Amino acid sequence: MTTTNNQGDNEVTMKLNRRRFIRHAATSSAIATAGALFPGISFGSWPQLANNSGLVSWQKAPCRFCGTGCGVLIGVSDGRAVAVKGDPNCSVNKGLCCMKGYHSVQALYGKDRLTTAQVRKNGTLVEVPIQEALDLIADKLKTTRELHGKDSVAIYGSGQWTIPDGYVASKLFKGCLGTNNVEANARLCMASAVTGFMTSFGLDEPMGCYEDMDHANIFVTWGNNMAEMHPVLFSRMLANRKRRTNVRIIDFATRSTRTSQAADKSILFKPQTDLAVANAICYEIINRDWVNWDFVNQHVSFHRGKTDIGYGTEDHFAFKDQAEAISFEEYSRFLEDYTPEKVEKISGVAAKDIKYLAALYGDPALKVTSFWCMGMNQHTRGTWINNLVYNIHLLTGKISTPGNSPFSLTGQPSACGTVREVGTLTHKLPHGVVMNQHHREMAAGIWDVPLSNIDPKPSYHTVEMFRALDRGDIKFIWIQVTNPMVTMPNLRRYRDGGLKGDRFVVVSDVYPTPTTDIADVILPAAMWVEQEGMFGNSERRTQHFAQIVDPPGEAMSDTWQIIEVARRLGFEQQFPWSKEDYIEKIWEEYRRFHAGPKHEMAPYSVLRERSGVQWPYVNGRETRWRFNPKYDPACSNGKDFDFYGKKDNRAWIWARPYEPAAESPDNTYNFWLNTGRVIEHWHTGSMTRRIPVLHNAVPAAYVELHPEDAAELGVVNGEMVKIISRRGEVTMPAQIQGRGVPVRGMVFVPFFDESYLINELTLDAFCPISKQPDYKKCAVRLEKA
Amino acid sequence: MMKQSEKRGWVGPCIAACCILGAAVTIGSPKHSAAIDLGNFDHQGQKVFRSYEATPETYLAADSGDRNLARFYELRQYPGSPPRIPHGVEASFSGDESNCLSCHGKGGYSPEFGKFVPVTPHPENTLCYQCHARVITEKAFGESDWQSIRPPRLGRSFLSSSPPPIPHSLQLRENCISCHTGPGAVVEIRVEHSSRGNCRQCHVPAVQTAPVNEFVRPGP
Ligand code: SF4
Repeated sequence: MTTTNNQGDNEVTMKLNRRRFIRHAATSSAIATAGALFPGISFGSWPQLANNSGLVSWQKAPCRFCGTGCGVLIGVSDGRAVAVKGDPNCSVNKGLCCMKGYHSVQALYGKDRLTTAQVRKNGTLVEVPIQEALDLIADKLKTTRELHGKDSVAIYGSGQWTIPDGYVASKLFKGCLGTNNVEANARLCMASAVTGFMTSFGLDEPMGCYEDMDHANIFVTWGNNMAEMHPVLFSRMLANRKRRTNVRIIDFATRSTRTSQAADKSILFKPQTDLAVANAICYEIINRDWVNWDFVNQHVSFHRGKTDIGYGTEDHFAFKDQAEAISFEEYSRFLEDYTPEKVEKISGVAAKDIKYLAALYGDPALKVTSFWCMGMNQHTRGTWINNLVYNIHLLTGKISTPGNSPFSLTGQPSACGTVREVGTLTHKLPHGVVMNQHHREMAAGIWDVPLSNIDPKPSYHTVEMFRALDRGDIKFIWIQVTNPMVTMPNLRRYRDGGLKGDRFVVVSDVYPTPTTDIADVILPAAMWVEQEGMFGNSERRTQHFAQIVDPPGEAMSDTWQIIEVARRLGFEQQFPWSKEDYIEKIWEEYRRFHAGPKHEMAPYSVLRERSGVQWPYVNGRETRWRFNPKYDPACSNGKDFDFYGKKDNRAWIWARPYEPAAESPDNTYNFWLNTGRVIEHWHTGSMTRRIPVLHNAVPAAYVELHPEDAAELGVVNGEMVKIISRRGEVTMPAQIQGRGVPVRGMVFVPFFDESYLINELTLDAFCPISKQPDYKKCAVRLEKA
Repeated sequence: MMKQSEKRGWVGPCIAACCILGAAVTIGSPKHSAAIDLGNFDHQGQKVFRSYEATPETYLAADSGDRNLARFYELRQYPGSPPRIPHGVEASFSGDESNCLSCHGKGGYSPEFGKFVPVTPHPENTLCYQCHARVITEKAFGESDWQSIRPPRLGRSFLSSSPPPIPHSLQLRENCISCHTGPGAVVEIRVEHSSRGNCRQCHVPAVQTAPVNEFVRPGP
């Protein structure tokens, strides 16, 4: 120590002298504190592993919360998950997580984990060996089918199902039992994204990828509070803005959020009028001659569909859209109703702000990425608004190139992987749809079932499925990895339906929830890394995780639960796998559905190795931008772009009008009710509330009010407000000037808290095309409680 | 980055040079640093060196004395987890980065809290509430069976007088200066010789939770 300092003295400067002086002056106090230490003393406020080997091994997995799909490394010591860090090898998050990811492993260890099966006997749930519960489920399935027909049984899963979970569910119900009663909660979160993609491009899922963020100059968040809902992606946007000089973020929303605060510009619009604003942007782009004619002439065709399409609030609602080709002239005539000045009146957005947005999209020198998620998807015209934002990108040719990206984000970790790709929706098959003979033939072939098993008619979408349960058309429902008794809109009807005498409800979950409360059988499920599986995130990335720790008690993976029941029903031949390698075998069987350059999936061995692989994965290469021959091996037309999803090899621009919401504020119910999430909590909070850090940060739900509305109502922060809709009421504490500020005449309530069931108030209106309900708009009135 | 890769050929000889010159290179007189090609440090070393240069001198001296390891770990769920926010924050917890970084960017004395402010080791991440949670209540939703490992032990030199290795992962904690020096540092891990700048010259990462791999000469 002395020696080195002496060497340094040769180059003494004033600065150094001062530093050294200070250092010596400080030495005595530093020694006093450091010297008092016993080397090796241990700290830590958490309970410490008894047999701590002192060693931690790190294993990769995708985070289990949210569709961003961050790669995490889970630290395992003595058979327990003890720590998390971001996976530096995962291109999604490059080593960074959010608070849910960092504390995710704590969700495994709540003391009230379900570890044994329970069966309701004379009204009370009693513990039984899991094999007995599985016998009962198989028996009930069989007798219900015999008594009430094949469509009286249903399975309802989730975008948190692993890919194998969804695959075996579809194979059993659609392939073996012959019913299309297979749905997933992802219907409630991204069905409009799917129909948006299908109607505009003929193929589902984004053309771009997260790397777009490193190239774009302009980010427009459409009703999308990314700062809280996709925080790791939002951070990447902020980092880009910091690093590059020409990056701007524009937040376009109905409520002022953390995203608005961080954005360079926040533009607020009246609920539902995003339809009009998107059309006005297109009007302005055409009017100013900012259309990319080369692109439009070669790659775009124009269409319109039906209008005045309804809201689906009545049982048995049916709607089928019909596309009609139109000319560019017809399209631009349609847009004449949407001049910025006219739209200012509908939307409350100043004409100059509409023109500003149009100028950003229209400037050929700027690369623009649009992000959206629930704001556009949970919308009674969700398919339309998806189409309309694609229109903007198509008119300007800003698509399928790095940084130019209309990007539909997903909420759940495997909404894409399990629900959209495996096709766990009533009309879907792993490849294609049940209505298509070839697709059915392919499924029957791979599944080894008679073709006649697969019903060519879709049955119930989610809302209609729960209506059918209420009506009694469905008598048996098996719910896995989701909590519909908190999340269904117009909740009371569906809970009462599930409780009716001869309904049989099976719930597979990890913790008790309001849904297990109505169950006749509860199966304890393995959670996340207690099983092997795969998720698929928002950017076409399939992410494998190994079983890292053991599930507690008799808990079993959802996949294996279904296999057990399938075998009891006599389908050993279709479900022949062993516990050792069933995930690998299922993956390799499932992968056959997607063979070919448009959707080729990576083999199991590659998935195991890497922190996620993007499809199409062709000849060992991932595809970052689809429809662009520089990146996408499926392009074959020899042009700059190939929109091969549609028969005319073009992307479709749609003339879609503005139509009002299903229920808007009136004199009696004079407020909009908007619902959503907060960064701390995942969906219904059944996992994140059991993570101490997250629960302690947001222990209970609240209602956000505009300060002036609060003043008029006479409530201050924390005082109770009664919110009343035509369907129900809830009384909860007010939050004023919190993290979000709704506009006047709107309240916002997060839905994670089962003590305040806000969905008893929401309306079960949905987009007639996607059948996805609108959780963002219904009418309520307020009272000081 | 570019610079570093262009200079790759220099790295070997320069490491050797560093060893010979020892701290003379790293003490960091302005005259000297002008002569030092920072591109020759490894990634972390360069960062540490730079932040040393930027550290105000008062920081190397004063000692708040009230931030100790027990407090440090109280805010965490396992070694390395993002700490909770131990003080009140505006409910709006604005997305404006200046809210947190105005104090935690550079540190300094906060009259409001009567304390020296800890400095973030990763100021490049500005969406603070992404990882750091408020504490509204200490009441749990339910009981938890969470357990984790013991925090790394202190002062575990491999040889009796050798510099102790770095016991923790450097991910998001590459900047040693921010936690180990200055009045906001945790007292037990505050270094007495912060004027040396390039910490990783002497302290090698040897994460305590990873097995020690002995060198084995690869077979022919
Ligand atoms: S952003 Fe989403 S995927 Fe990433 S760590 Fe947070 S919750 Fe997990």
